[in-house]
Amino acid sequence: MKTGAERWCGYAGRVLRVDLDTGRSTIEPLDREAARRYLGGRGLNMRVLYDEVPPEVEPLSPENRLMFATGPLVGTAVSGASRVNVSARSPLTGILGDSNAGGFFGPELKYAGFDQVIIRGRASDLTYLLITEEGACLRPAGHLRGLDVWQTQQAIRAELGDEGVQVGVAGPAAENGVLFAGVFFNLARPAARTGMGAVMAAKGLKAVAVRGRGAVRVADRAAFDAAVAEADAAIFAHPEYEPRKRLGTTRLVRALHGLGCLASFHFRTGRFPGVDRVSGEHLAATYRLKGKACFGCNIPCSRFFRVDSGPFAGLASEGPEFEGLAGFSSRVGNDDLALALRAIDMCNRYGMDVISTSEVISFLMELAEAGIVGPGEADGLDLRWGNGRTILALIEKICRREGIGEVLAGGVRRAAQLIGRGSERYAMHIKGMEVFQADPRGIKGYALGLAVASRGGDHLRSEPWFELTGNREEALRRFGVAEAAERLAAAGKGVLVKHYEERCALADCLEVCKNTLVNMEILPYDQAARLLSAATGWEFSEEEVRDACERLVNLERCYNARLGLGRRDDTLPERFTREPLPPDSGPSAGSVVELDRMLDEYYRARGWDESTGLPKKETLSRLGLDRPAP
Amino acid sequence: MYDLRIVVEEVRGFCDMPMRPGDYCELRGSRLSIPEGFCMWALQSVLPLLPAKQRRIAEENDWVPRTFRVACPDPDGMVILRIEQIDPRGESRTGSPPERAAGREPRTGSPLPRLLVDHRACTGCRACELACSYRHEGAFAPSLSRIRVRKDEPAGLDEPVVCRQCGVARCVQVCSCGALSRDGRTGAVVVDAGLCMRCGDCAEACPFGAIRIHPDTALPLICDLCDGDPACVGRCVTGALRYGRAGDAARDVSAPGGRAE
Repeated sequence: MKTGAERWCGYAGRVLRVDLDTGRSTIEPLDREAARRYLGGRGLNMRVLYDEVPPEVEPLSPENRLMFATGPLVGTAVSGASRVNVSARSPLTGILGDSNAGGFFGPELKYAGFDQVIIRGRASDLTYLLITEEGACLRPAGHLRGLDVWQTQQAIRAELGDEGVQVGVAGPAAENGVLFAGVFFNLARPAARTGMGAVMAAKGLKAVAVRGRGAVRVADRAAFDAAVAEADAAIFAHPEYEPRKRLGTTRLVRALHGLGCLASFHFRTGRFPGVDRVSGEHLAATYRLKGKACFGCNIPCSRFFRVDSGPFAGLASEGPEFEGLAGFSSRVGNDDLALALRAIDMCNRYGMDVISTSEVISFLMELAEAGIVGPGEADGLDLRWGNGRTILALIEKICRREGIGEVLAGGVRRAAQLIGRGSERYAMHIKGMEVFQADPRGIKGYALGLAVASRGGDHLRSEPWFELTGNREEALRRFGVAEAAERLAAAGKGVLVKHYEERCALADCLEVCKNTLVNMEILPYDQAARLLSAATGWEFSEEEVRDACERLVNLERCYNARLGLGRRDDTLPERFTREPLPPDSGPSAGSVVELDRMLDEYYRARGWDESTGLPKKETLSRLGLDRPAP
Repeated sequence: MYDLRIVVEEVRGFCDMPMRPGDYCELRGSRLSIPEGFCMWALQSVLPLLPAKQRRIAEENDWVPRTFRVACPDPDGMVILRIEQIDPRGESRTGSPPERAAGREPRTGSPLPRLLVDHRACTGCRACELACSYRHEGAFAPSLSRIRVRKDEPAGLDEPVVCRQCGVARCVQVCSCGALSRDGRTGAVVVDAGLCMRCGDCAEACPFGAIRIHPDTALPLICDLCDGDPACVGRCVTGALRYGRAGDAARDVSAPGGRAE
């Protein structure tokens, strides 16, 4: 600290603990040591998850901890520092659960004076939690039962008479026990993955509302302003700035189609014939009304849209992002943009993850095509690719856990177990979590990243975009292997994924958007250290920040190792390692993932044992992680 | 029967009267009081509606109760007028039309630059609130910001609520202790903390809800235009906020920090 006074800079300096069993809450000072070693956000949550949620605690039991955490830069003028991590042991996967959301909740929590909220127990009646500077207040939520995400937000804002309240909601899907239900903020800003909404609902918690009227201070204004100006200049000068502002992530639909690795017809191929009718470009030319941004961000990468004609006329919302757009178009074989928007809208209102939802639906469609599921087994629905009525009906049924929806509501791994008959090999999940909308066979660094990700099949734990650049010289300079710059090569991907896992950890700990910190590599470690030092008043070195990120990746591996996971679980669905992408996949045709070779290189780069996939003792002790050794 | 107030809400184009946001006239019963300088063209555009707006209309689907904005017919001016129904229980603070000199913006040849808002370009990011509170309070605290983004999320509405630098500032007029005055150079309303009684009348009087009260000091938080270099404008990346004269060409927005959509 810069002065002897107990005034926190950057951090809010307080942690709120809520016990839903007793209805009591306490305010604790933030553990300084933990803040230094884990920086914030996801790091703080994972530390508590490791310490307080041992393997015997079942995900939907009261003892599981549901945590919300922000970072030391959230609420300041750092662009993209708007985010919040929601974490718990996951009911969908049974392992580490964690999801990150943008919007406006994170900063509001900081202004209320909290870096982290830790919730345990189970409320006897449906409750919502209101957080202000004074602390927590539990309020009855019986009247909110069954309300969708938007209705719940509106109802809470109305009853508190304050439009500035930010609300995280467990939607009707979560209340009904859908295991891939998330915690949803604003119109379309979910912490969607790993079923955090299901954990919330199991605690009898309908929503977490927060209103803060405090301030976030920085320790050294001159140094902070200089560091922010430096980061902003890098953003504005970046070649990604204009395209991201124009299309955001939706441009990936066309881009990945071009590369031949857009998840199409449930990964049967890498190109989607109807792509021009559902692309981000098409959306921008038709329904987009204006750009939208998260709190304080200078890249308005999202959009507000309104469908003005046809059966979905009047549909208006924010978004969508690439994952929802491709999920309800190419993945399910649908080329009706308005229908895809409606499907995403339903997921956002019901509070369900668009990736998992689109996976279980496309999975079912492929099973029907393969003759594994007969016409009578899906409540009489026509399961041909792209059938719009079927897609919307299935979303409805999943949310209500009705009929075939009950089979799908536990995620694709459980659905395959229930259906049997060889359907397991069609279930596109890793460690129980559904795979995203790009075909890993065409982007092998991503494939490795998915296989080793601590929360299961997920790209946002690493996002090794550099392999799409083709810049061999820079790859050689930065990663020591020229092939790291080539998406279809296997060599160099271990080192590459390690680097980007740590960048993602940095983004999730500082709670800054991965668009800037990872995909644009704004705030390299030395700048991040300067910014953190200026904000908090603590001297952070470049190495210290980098080590914190590596420490977090190792801690997460230890958490999953304690649940019995190891190298044998770092797999991909066998389609990706055995079936080459078909000839119509253009430049990715014929490709499969050579996973074992990449895993060896990755474990070596990480200092993990190649046979077990677990951190070596010396690696843990170098990072000061002797204590949680598995 | 309602009494009515016709307020200039916004000048989107160039009005050479000039009408300024905040200029208003009032209709009490059948008596219309027109202050000096109120434009006949603007006035005639609202006149036909006034008798209807004075009455309570119970029908839900009627357009009249839901219509309260009217544009001046001059296409260059784009003066937007708002018809307000005055609370029949009697709202005595502002009294009859503003004849007093207090609160009047210093009149020079052309209107002074002010904050101009294009809400269609606003992304709702609230960077302006951060910039404002950081400049004035030395910390990031949107609740202390002098600018605020009003939102209706499902409707996709993001509207920065700014001080409109009213030609005739009601906040200054209602201040009974003389704490508010107009800055001679920028025209901004400035608060003299030594004189302010913390009564909050100014915040209540503002026709645009642009004044908030500081939760600790109880002083009004009124935009001071950052002495002619508004911090909020500097952080707005889409050009939704500008500092200039209505009708002037938009400034060059190709520079970093001021990019057009």
